[in-house]
Amino acid sequence: MAVGPASVVGPARLAGRTTRRRGVLEREGVFSWLMLAPGVAFLLAFVAYPFFYGISLSLQDRRVASPGVFVGLANFVTLAQDPIFWQVTRNTFVYTTVATLLKILGGLAMALVINQHFRGRNLARAFLLLPFIVPTVLSTVAWMWILDPTFSVINWTLRHTGLVTQTFSWLGNATLAMVSIIVVNTWRGVPFYGITLLAGLQTISPDLYEAAAIDGASLTQRFWYITLPVLKPVLIIVTMFSVIFTFSDFQLPYVLTHGGPANATHLFATWAFDIGMSAGQLGMGAAVALAMLPALSLLIVALTLYLRRE
Amino acid sequence: MRTRREFLTTTMTAAGAALTPRWAHAAPKAITVVRESSFIKPFDDYFAKTLALEYEKLTGIKIVYEAVSVGGMLTRLTTIAETKAGPEIVGTNLNWPWLFDQSLVDVSDLATEIGKKIGPWHDNIFDAVVVNKKWKALPWGNIGQLEVYRTDWFKEAGVTKFPDTWEDLLAAGRLLKKKGHPFGFELGHGFGDNHGWLYPLLWSHGGREVDRDGKTVLIDSDETAKAVDFCRRFFKETMLEDVLGWTDVNNNKAYFGEQISCTNNASSILVVAKRDFPEIASVTDHSLNPQGPKGRFHIMQAASHAVMTHAPDHAAAKAFLRWLYDDKQLSRWLTAGEAYYAPFLTAYDNHPMWNTEPRYLPYKESLKTTRLHGWPGPPSHAMSESVAKYVLVDMFAKACQGESTKNVIATAAAQLKQIYKAK
Repeated sequence: MAVGPASVVGPARLAGRTTRRRGVLEREGVFSWLMLAPGVAFLLAFVAYPFFYGISLSLQDRRVASPGVFVGLANFVTLAQDPIFWQVTRNTFVYTTVATLLKILGGLAMALVINQHFRGRNLARAFLLLPFIVPTVLSTVAWMWILDPTFSVINWTLRHTGLVTQTFSWLGNATLAMVSIIVVNTWRGVPFYGITLLAGLQTISPDLYEAAAIDGASLTQRFWYITLPVLKPVLIIVTMFSVIFTFSDFQLPYVLTHGGPANATHLFATWAFDIGMSAGQLGMGAAVALAMLPALSLLIVALTLYLRRE
Repeated sequence: MRTRREFLTTTMTAAGAALTPRWAHAAPKAITVVRESSFIKPFDDYFAKTLALEYEKLTGIKIVYEAVSVGGMLTRLTTIAETKAGPEIVGTNLNWPWLFDQSLVDVSDLATEIGKKIGPWHDNIFDAVVVNKKWKALPWGNIGQLEVYRTDWFKEAGVTKFPDTWEDLLAAGRLLKKKGHPFGFELGHGFGDNHGWLYPLLWSHGGREVDRDGKTVLIDSDETAKAVDFCRRFFKETMLEDVLGWTDVNNNKAYFGEQISCTNNASSILVVAKRDFPEIASVTDHSLNPQGPKGRFHIMQAASHAVMTHAPDHAAAKAFLRWLYDDKQLSRWLTAGEAYYAPFLTAYDNHPMWNTEPRYLPYKESLKTTRLHGWPGPPSHAMSESVAKYVLVDMFAKACQGESTKNVIATAAAQLKQIYKAK
């Protein structure tokens, strides 16, 4: 009868192997890589691979369900000659810049208010977080009703309080449509700023404020010379992240306007989706999505440099 | 050791040989069908709860029905085709059989068979589903986009019969708007109700996006200019500004909210009205699109089934479709759909489903004048790109926003030349 190799291994040899394995694991280089491995594998599979696949697609004339043909930078050249691309670029920058500024101001105000002691503070904090907790598509559908020309609660209120006689076409007018999606994005994003800045505010020692008050500093001076400098690192990081998310926003404009009227609210992400999925031009769609890369890369580099300096 | 390895090799080879032919020829246990969910719930229910169960009882093959939300089927189909995995039978529409040509099985044999039994097929369907002389999908019906209007308000404004021409509709719209009942035709980035009237408007004035060669862009013409000028007047004199931002849900909401007196939509608006707004249903009627100086047109949205090439058993998938498109099944199914789908099979021109509600009859009549988006150009990738980029919709919408006719046509022409790679 044949005998398997495992059965001839004696207890002494087994113990030796276990010790050696433990020794290898205890080496910091090996152990740290083992701990990092799941995260690295995740990033490779779900970030790096799609990213490089996206780059590869953008260099091809790749129609859906058909093999691609390498075309170099032709897709980017085509985009550069398309006036809609420049309109989408402008829309994306306006949307990101205005929404981010409003979120900074709103978030800071929210953090300062909910940092005060008042009855029902915890309840208020919970309610203020709601816009961020509710799924975007769901809250955007609610906004569709709020901004609906027929059923708009805003129009109803304005008309019934006598403030206007003619109601507004929130999503039908090109300017108002952009204003509307910015407002909805701000409404959704303010709690993210608020809660993050609140965490920053709570790290400020009350002694600093007391000392400043004793020295005769006004409320404004205390804000400018204590609150803002201490909050600055948090503010910069949260702004960077928020800019990235806002720049690549998809769900909100897609559900609310689908880029209309006449492309007035098309952003990079919504336009890329239309070209890639609706038109079946996967290569061109990837090129549109990658057009976001230079601006986002600059932000990431700035963020990295800032974090290293700190 | 050697003996044992030999034993294992022999056993596994024998087992493989014994099992492989059985796998290859055994009928599948289930077939998955994915389609965009219908606005007519009984249509989906009849498929999932009656027809699928009947087929399972008959053959032992379970039919799994996957419904995709309205407007989401193209994305789902793209994923299926790209990953070569998932449902064996898919729903197609518009020019999708051309887009996914390489991923779809040739069903010419089935189409011929069905055509002989309950056909022949209407001629205009060939543009949508026959790719390089091969049928790549089997249509079960057209989702027509026609005029939907309030008979009571039209009468109140002195319009007793629905206008036959665009000019007459404009005149009627002026009267209705004065009485506080504006029109509401979508000019935003939806997927159906905008193209549903804007392509017919262009065609009926003699305008075309591109010639049948798919290379000569024709949009820059006097005919297009006339259509654009008309659209601007039609918008300003009969509609609400909001239509510029509407997607496909908005005109339905506005109609049921009694804010508009006329729109372009599928018959689902009346189906829903009958169910949820009976008072509105009683004063709602349908009409063909008005005609222009160069005729009357409608958009083609041919709801069809196709078999994916990745399906492990093409024969089984085709067998199911053969059974489904048999008059015994198809007739019952279309009846459950309340005439929402106008079949492209001439034997059904006088089907009893048309008798239950005469107001749906224009949808049958419209079949003769249906054309694919981008007609007379070929149903190519370029056509899809033009639709996805809303070239035509935005040309009209920008004119309504106040841009000059010359400018909006020049922008559309430049876009189309780039899309169709025209010189």
